[in-house]
Amino acid sequence: MYIVARNIFRFLVLILFQVLVMDNVMISGYMIPYVYILFILLMPFETPRWILLLSGFALGLSIDLFNGTPGMHTAASVLIAFVRPYLLDLLASRDGYDPETYPRIHYYGFLWFLKYTLIIVFIHHLALFYLEVFQLKVFFSTLLRVILSTIISASTIVLSQYFVFRK
Amino acid sequence: MRTLLRFIQKYSNLLLFLLLEVIAVALIIQGSSYQRSKLIGLNRQVTGFIYSKVDGAREYFSLKEANEQLVEENVELRNRLDLASSMIDSATVVNELKGEYRYYFVQSRIVNNSTYKQYNYLTLDKGKKQGVFRNMGVVSDQGLVGIILESSANFSTVIPVINRDFRLSAKIKSNNYAGILQWEGLSPRFAILSEIPFHVTLSEGDTILTSGFSSIFPEGIEVGKIESFSLEKGNFYDIRVELFTNFQQLYHVNVIRNYRQEEQLELENQNR
Repeated sequence: MYIVARNIFRFLVLILFQVLVMDNVMISGYMIPYVYILFILLMPFETPRWILLLSGFALGLSIDLFNGTPGMHTAASVLIAFVRPYLLDLLASRDGYDPETYPRIHYYGFLWFLKYTLIIVFIHHLALFYLEVFQLKVFFSTLLRVILSTIISASTIVLSQYFVFRK
Repeated sequence: MRTLLRFIQKYSNLLLFLLLEVIAVALIIQGSSYQRSKLIGLNRQVTGFIYSKVDGAREYFSLKEANEQLVEENVELRNRLDLASSMIDSATVVNELKGEYRYYFVQSRIVNNSTYKQYNYLTLDKGKKQGVFRNMGVVSDQGLVGIILESSANFSTVIPVINRDFRLSAKIKSNNYAGILQWEGLSPRFAILSEIPFHVTLSEGDTILTSGFSSIFPEGIEVGKIESFSLEKGNFYDIRVELFTNFQQLYHVNVIRNYRQEEQLELENQNR
């Protein structure tokens, strides 16, 4: 029960933080760190997949509502919620994941978390940015934006592990 | 039947995933610019409210400056009153006097701004109560900013030049040829002027102005200058315009109120 309450609280805080603070942080004009997906990243290992998917949907929809964008964040968030369990299986060490632990630097180390974050963030940004431009004319400039934004979002998320979500 | 149920059970997560993605994609496709403007209106009221509260705290510390501004404004208004009464003395009818002011500017502050998206919007802290309505023009000291999309009691949203839905007629200062100004979604510093025919002589650095071919902007508001141009599409130039307005450092804007807008639109609609 405590875990559920904590996740709902984190959900609300991350959305407000994204909309009120991060959406106003612009790096060189048109890149912004999307840290709200941290919610999906940090959900407990044993979360059932349908809860993951529905949370991704709710998360993306909330961001969409605040940004006035139709469905783009929703589509991207549902996608990473779907990919996450497969990625976790892929990144698991031979012993798998211990119960009572969470997907965090504190338990699984910097390198593991960096790989995990980079892949999820990249998939999310790839879907989001191409849905946003919705045309292939600007394929390479969009790809550049995806890569640069991935670096920025991922570093913000990794840094947050040292300052905010320490344990 | 049983196999179907087993199938659904086995692939329930995949099916849920597909269902949610279909909903999201349907939202994207369905999301016309009208719906978007409604949604933006709603959420900008929420965020606008929060931002104005944050700004409210900041304003408390700048009360002194605000006071000075009010004094200045008072002086100016009194001057205008003197002027007006002297004009009435010289037998000018008040109604006509009002008609003399064709454009009026409403000073306004930006409380929310984005420049990095494909569909950027600004929020202003003035709304219907202050005389800001849909389809009014917005300018800054530097030049053209955008058009009011929606206004509530105390806030309004602006669709700026740097939004892919933006269209406005603009002309080249040196030869008065008019084209369509729009944004291709790349850098917030540049916009595209299209539909200038190939025989027009252009040079880099020419100034682009609003054409006045609408009831929204007066003629001759500065938009930007020509950065480069090309003839890729055959008969028409693609002109890259460097915008004078720096959207990344924009705080104060003026909303243009055109007292004769209604009259013009009414007449134009009659003829349609």
